[in-house]
Amino acid sequence: MRLENHYYELISMHTDGQSGRFHIALCPDCEVYRGHFPDNPVCPGVCHIQTVKELTERLTGCRLRIRAIRLCRLTAVATPATCPELRVDIRLSPADNGVHVQARMADAERTYMEYQGEMEKDKPETE
Amino acid sequence: MIHEDIRTLVPQRAPMLMVDALLDVGLEGGRTCLTIRHGNYFLDEDGRMEEAGILEHIAQSASAVAGRHAVAAGAASPPVGYIGEIRKFKCHRLPREGETLHTTITLGAEAGGVTLLRGETRAGNALVADTQMKIYLPTE
Repeated sequence: MRLENHYYELISMHTDGQSGRFHIALCPDCEVYRGHFPDNPVCPGVCHIQTVKELTERLTGCRLRIRAIRLCRLTAVATPATCPELRVDIRLSPADNGVHVQARMADAERTYMEYQGEMEKDKPETE
Repeated sequence: MIHEDIRTLVPQRAPMLMVDALLDVGLEGGRTCLTIRHGNYFLDEDGRMEEAGILEHIAQSASAVAGRHAVAAGAASPPVGYIGEIRKFKCHRLPREGETLHTTITLGAEAGGVTLLRGETRAGNALVADTQMKIYLPTE
């Protein structure tokens, strides 16, 4: 499932090739909140990781795979009610056979996620 | 095999329930499984589970171990936990729809409601992913 237009909507994007600043709006009616958690909608941290992957795909123009996450800190609990809009800053640098990705998700109040890892071009296996 | 309904051990529900069963459990950790079914929320357009789905499965596997300990200690419902940190996650391959993941959770130090753990996920004989994680389980 691509999360864009389900879990979040992209409001704006400014990029210079090696970095990007994205503004997104969380969708409060997204079906993930039926199960995470019933009557207590909380953003799954892994959906923020998937959001960073999708935004990095926009930045690079290729489908990517997450090869490694060096460190991802989820520093505050996010909910679509308390942080309806978020800023995602992504900076890329070269890595062996891929890119090193540094990302931060925040709003004016607080930082929700700090992320560092490596992604590589997706090569679907043929089976 | 532990015959409890997984929903008594983790608070997540469809479409975010990413663990089928707790296979065994001890003080040092446990083992879980998940069969990746059609319609799984984290499948990409080629029928592969995305890394986020694997991470959620590992986190819920740890949550099931913690839930089992909490229920054994008398809790009426499983605790709601949050991922605090992911470190040294390596994804070796993306599993496909129809495959069954088997995950081993090894618990580490616990302090102030934060538990350090290691998770390793395999499908068949192949390593899918391994990671360290910190899970925050607020105590009542």
